Amino acid sequence: MSEIAIETRELYKEFRVYHDRAMSMKERVVNWGRHKYEKFWALKDVNLRLEKGKSLGIIGRNGSGKSTLLKVISGIYYPTKGEVKVNGKLTTLLELGAGFHPDFTGRENIYFNASIFGFTRKEINAKLDEIIAFSELGEFIDNPVRNYSSGMYMRLAFSVAIHIEPEILLLDEVLAVGDSAFQEKCMSKIKSFREKGVTMIFVSHASMQVSKLCDKAVWLKDGMIERYGDAKGVVKAYERWMDTR
Amino acid sequence: MIKKIIEIYRYREMLRNLVSKELQARYKNSVLGFFWTFLNPLLMLAVYTFVFSTIMRSDIKDFSVFMFIGLLAWNYIAGSVLQGTGCLVSNSSLLKKVYFPREVIPLSIVFANMINYILSMIILLVALLISGIGIHHDILFYPVILLVQTIFLIPLVLILSVVNVYFRDLEHTVNVLINLWFFVTPIVYPISIVPEHLRIFFYLNPATHIVEAYLAIMYYRVAPNLPALFWMFVGSIIFFWIGYLIFDHLQRRVTEEI
Ligand SMILES: Nc1ncnc2c1ncn2[C@@H]1O[C@H](COP(=O)(O)OP(=O)(O)OP(=O)(O)O)[C@@H](O)[C@H]1O
Ligand SMILES: [Mg+2]
Repeated sequence: MSEIAIETRELYKEFRVYHDRAMSMKERVVNWGRHKYEKFWALKDVNLRLEKGKSLGIIGRNGSGKSTLLKVISGIYYPTKGEVKVNGKLTTLLELGAGFHPDFTGRENIYFNASIFGFTRKEINAKLDEIIAFSELGEFIDNPVRNYSSGMYMRLAFSVAIHIEPEILLLDEVLAVGDSAFQEKCMSKIKSFREKGVTMIFVSHASMQVSKLCDKAVWLKDGMIERYGDAKGVVKAYERWMDTR
Repeated sequence: MIKKIIEIYRYREMLRNLVSKELQARYKNSVLGFFWTFLNPLLMLAVYTFVFSTIMRSDIKDFSVFMFIGLLAWNYIAGSVLQGTGCLVSNSSLLKKVYFPREVIPLSIVFANMINYILSMIILLVALLISGIGIHHDILFYPVILLVQTIFLIPLVLILSVVNVYFRDLEHTVNVLINLWFFVTPIVYPISIVPEHLRIFFYLNPATHIVEAYLAIMYYRVAPNLPALFWMFVGSIIFFWIGYLIFDHLQRRVTEEI
């Protein structure tokens, strides 16, 4: 059996939904002990196992817990119960351009954005030319990002993200950016990641994409695994269920 | 904790970038740019010298220099605390989108303030020379005092920043309390004017030891009170560890609460 890249065991995530949010110390002290929130379980008993080099698609309706699951795996959220095991360098793309500073140039932002993913200056320098070329921004790279169109902004952000050579990549619906030519480039980059043996998990509403790009799929329903297994089978079952509604 | 330190070391480039962003942001869009770093303390010094040599004559020799030493050290503390308390809340969008060791943000605030402090030392050294006080070899203790001060400040800022996520009005409380803290620290007056029986309370204030140590090496031209500095160091290490534990525990729900 091959090595496991990601494993979750009996994973639960609880959110506190506040009705009347007490934010000040006085309010908190006055209301001590009285629960002013309701518990909401966004993930319930999620057990997943993903082998190295495999890709997993997460599907489900809005609010079913897909993004929450990615965030728990990436460490952005801390699980309420259960555990997550990650074996390898993990990169999460929830939203492109995290930490971009509008006053800084595209080039400066490349450094900052890549450093957020835990890269050193040396590693970034080695990739800089390639990142700039992939973004197709040309001389705009030395303009402040605030002057970019939203498409240009996304290109730069995606270009950084895609060049960080992840071992494990988590993507949350970030594929739907840019014009179709750029999307094509992204798709081929993701396919090449697959060939290189990068482990991937991505959330997508396009079930076509999932059955094309993923080995396995998981269908989440109200925070629980409804179905987990071979991508084509899960997607088919999900689509059938959606049609009957 | 060792694991955490290794992880933060891996994110050193991010830390470096946050520090330079912090420093640049402060002076960006100003014509004088980075020279504000120098101009600010320089103006401060000029005003104090003027005030205390002409308007409010003081018995203390070179009172403006005396005060300037304490004030620069105090600015490092106050700057870190004031900017540090709100730093997690103000970086909420970053925290929600990417994983990185959360400590990096409060640390960047402390380091940015430390660099500012070190740069402003240039003005202070010039002031020491011009005033005739001169520079004594005990100034070599400077890095030691700075280290102790930093080890004390890091956990303080860690705790304030993470507690502020849960109690948002902590920021206002800190804004008020910091003024109080300033006046119970011997900066605008020497500790010797404090009545003997009250002094013990002043020495419970860590900032007192820090300021006293800086005054010793630069103003009084003697070695700092080494036992006091040593205990301050031990205390800071313990505080560091407590701060780490508190932060580590409370940060778990930070992303969803901001
Ligand atoms: N910080 C939070 N506090 C409280 N509830 C939250 C929080 N984040 C998410 N939730 C709730 O958890 C549930 C799952 O949210 P999540 O974002 O994971 O859904 P999703 O499957 O990604 O949906 P979408 O397809 O719309 O992206 C939702 O009901 C949402 O309201
Ligand atoms: Mg989502």
